[in-house]
Amino acid sequence: MADKRDMVQIESLEKYFGEDKERVHVLKGVTLNIPEGSLYTFLGPSGCGKTTTLRCVAGLERPDGGKISIGGQTVFAFGERVYVPTNKRPIGMVFQSYAIWPHMTVAENVAYPLTIQRRSKDEIRRRVGDVLKVVGLDGLEDRPAPKLSGGQQQRVAFARALINEPKVMLLDEPLSNLDARLRVQMRSEIKSLQRRTSITTIFVTHDQAEALAISDQIAVMHGGKLIEVGAPHQLYARPTRRFTATFLGLTNLIEGKVVELDGDSKPGKIQTKKGLLSFIPAPGLKKDQAAVISIRPENIPLHKEKPQGLENVLEGTVKEAIFMGDAYQCKVAVGDDLLSVHTHPFNAVSPGDKVYLQLDPASCNGLPADDTEGVDETMLGN
Amino acid sequence: MKRFNSQTFILIGATLFVLYLAGVPLVMLLYGSIRSAPIGEPGATYTIQNYVKAYFDKEFYLLLLNSIYYGLGTCTLTFLIGTFLAWVSERTNTPLKRLFVVMSLIPFIIPGILSTISWILLLSPKIGLINLAIKDVLGLESAPFNVYSMWGMIWAESIHLYPLVFLLMSAAFRNMDTSLEEAALTAGSSTFTTFARVTLPLMRPAMFSVLLINFIRGIEAFEVPALIGVPAKISVFTTKIFLAIHQFPSDFGLAGAYAVTLLVISTTGVLIYGKITRKEERYATVTGKGYRPRVIDLGAWKYLTLGISFLIFFLAVILPVFVLLWSSFIPYYGVPSRELMGKMTWANYQYILNYPLALTAFKNSFYLSVGSATVVMLLTSLIAWITVKTKMPGRGLLDTMTFIPIAMPGIVLGVSLIWVYLTLPIPIYGTIWVLLLAYITKFMPYGIRAASASMIQINKELEEASLTAGGTWFQTFRKVLLPLLMPGFTAGWIYISIIALRELSTSILLYSYNSTVLSIMAFDLWEGGQYTYVCALGVLMVLLLLVMAFTARKLGARVGIAE
Repeated sequence: MADKRDMVQIESLEKYFGEDKERVHVLKGVTLNIPEGSLYTFLGPSGCGKTTTLRCVAGLERPDGGKISIGGQTVFAFGERVYVPTNKRPIGMVFQSYAIWPHMTVAENVAYPLTIQRRSKDEIRRRVGDVLKVVGLDGLEDRPAPKLSGGQQQRVAFARALINEPKVMLLDEPLSNLDARLRVQMRSEIKSLQRRTSITTIFVTHDQAEALAISDQIAVMHGGKLIEVGAPHQLYARPTRRFTATFLGLTNLIEGKVVELDGDSKPGKIQTKKGLLSFIPAPGLKKDQAAVISIRPENIPLHKEKPQGLENVLEGTVKEAIFMGDAYQCKVAVGDDLLSVHTHPFNAVSPGDKVYLQLDPASCNGLPADDTEGVDETMLGN
Repeated sequence: MKRFNSQTFILIGATLFVLYLAGVPLVMLLYGSIRSAPIGEPGATYTIQNYVKAYFDKEFYLLLLNSIYYGLGTCTLTFLIGTFLAWVSERTNTPLKRLFVVMSLIPFIIPGILSTISWILLLSPKIGLINLAIKDVLGLESAPFNVYSMWGMIWAESIHLYPLVFLLMSAAFRNMDTSLEEAALTAGSSTFTTFARVTLPLMRPAMFSVLLINFIRGIEAFEVPALIGVPAKISVFTTKIFLAIHQFPSDFGLAGAYAVTLLVISTTGVLIYGKITRKEERYATVTGKGYRPRVIDLGAWKYLTLGISFLIFFLAVILPVFVLLWSSFIPYYGVPSRELMGKMTWANYQYILNYPLALTAFKNSFYLSVGSATVVMLLTSLIAWITVKTKMPGRGLLDTMTFIPIAMPGIVLGVSLIWVYLTLPIPIYGTIWVLLLAYITKFMPYGIRAASASMIQINKELEEASLTAGGTWFQTFRKVLLPLLMPGFTAGWIYISIIALRELSTSILLYSYNSTVLSIMAFDLWEGGQYTYVCALGVLMVLLLLVMAFTARKLGARVGIAE
């Protein structure tokens, strides 16, 4: 659609769980805009508030502050006491357990949204047939729900969410109950289904690989806050927050202080315990600020001989080298620290080897160091 | 914000209804017991005279003693019978044991009044079949058994009440983690030591709670004390209350004082019971996992256990049913003989079917039974939704309120409701509606148990899926929750409709000519000495119960999930 306005707008969402002393602040001012027609993922560890945010959009939870609108219609506004109940919102939802009603057949489950609107029998039959074809379940109309496999149940859940032509599809960890192989298959099916229908879809997951594979945009959440939003490649290659760097894939963190800066996204210099390193600063990083460099293990070429004329070369000793088929996963001791390095299998190394690591300056992302919120310090650093 | 949608309306309505049903009778009972004059009479004042009169009567202590004696006897005997059968069927290799499960539950379906009558017909010193037969065979002068005694009462009560013990103890045997016993065996203890040192201690909480609940049931019982105790001049609380109201003029205040006393005893029991069972749930033995109980090989002894089990079945089912059937087909009461056999007739049934009140009683009983079971299950399903699925403040209290009537003996509920509907300006006293309200109140606790248990098993996402699909709360309740609740709903419905159809102790204080029910009709016929007619009526009642239970099961299977 030409008009790329936002389908879902979430503004300063607040939510508490529990009463009195056991009150927990689960959403702390979450603000998000979800573009029409996109597959938008809420990603974060369990307890980060991603499912709660989704349930607030669905109206299954009532926020304690903020505003939500869907397709331009305000469905919740705390100050103005607006609350559109779940059943009046233009949504379709797929639950983690699929929530297929066991007392109904496939067709009855799928037809439910139309049945309660008292649509004509002909219309229901036609639309159920259509939607079952879309999810690849045609011919299974009369099968009782308990006689479905996990993958089939999921397709039924999708069909039921789709049949009413919702403005927004809400998917609450829909793949977490499937076995690994089916998960990968359903992942691409969801993506192609979303492409074909171009229904704005919110996908909740804690699995970063799943999020990277499926999303147009990812909103990384942690501790009830939105950390960062971006396209998968951008978040992976150029994270601007320390949490994003550590949560999405593996990374190495090296602490230091910015000593030279030439504006956003232009190479600068940082002083670390390992010496002066070149890096690309995140927007907003200032001179003399404590910073941290994040570099992915696959962006560190490993040399047996000291390379000449290159920046950011560190000397180290291989402590561990695990052959994974497509790569060696190495731990290299540099000073007191261990760096993770993935190297091509041609480049055979073994523990004890003396090696030189080149931290490709274009892949060294400089992030504010004091942004420690929720960072899991399992990587390098202090 | 739309505040009053259908959901809020229905839920608030259900809550208020429960509070009214459970709370008002309690308040009015306490109020009535401290009023000086009968209800509605001018010039009544507050007084403690009723309690003084009750407690300073030396008969009161005899009454208390009798009630306790009766309660203890009943709980001991039911415990022995029920536990023996449960042990045989769960833990031994006795042949045909699966059959016991079905057969030992048959007394459930026989109304208490019929069971009592059948034991009078069997053990009465003058007309009891067993007595007459033994006298005849052994040539005795006097009857060997006398049902009109404390032991006679305990026997008649126990042989009817033991199925509950059987069910509870079977569950306790079944739920026990057998690895606990196996651990003892591998540690070198013998089968007997294991039983004494491990099995029994593990089951102690279950056993105590079963004893307690049957003690309470014994103290609350009405049928046996009324039909056997009153002629035998053995008075207990329930019959004393009944007589205080049935004498002329009625002494409502005194009845109230006795009723409050009985209520205090039964409430204490229920509270202790609740405490134990809650602790029991924390006990490691009950995990809901499907353990395969260790079956003990009894060797040749298994024929002895089979024999005893059959004897119990014979005494609990065959004899009473036989005596009812036999008496319903003979023109006057007597021992089966060739002569009487030749006189067998349908006349008793014809009499019942032409009895002026019979049609009314059948209709009333049927409507009340179906009506109360349906209302209770719908109401408690709503309440269970609130208490299980929401975080509404006060939901714990609501759950308790729904459960309170379990502590109210039927006769006490009857007294309370007399006060309520003679005082409040709701003109339903003496109509079938007051009976309906009484039944709903009385059976709410059973309903809430069945409903909450099923509600807990329903994943919340099944409901939410309906809401996100555009269903309103009411549509969700009707189209998703109710069908999923159906198995539990049906089970609760069948149970309630059965106990409603045989209800006597509450109805007897609240009925009028036009709102007579079957159990009252049986009681009146019995009081009038028309034994053979009562038996014909009883057989018809049991048939009606069987048909209802069967139909409900069929219907429930069609609506709910096919199992």
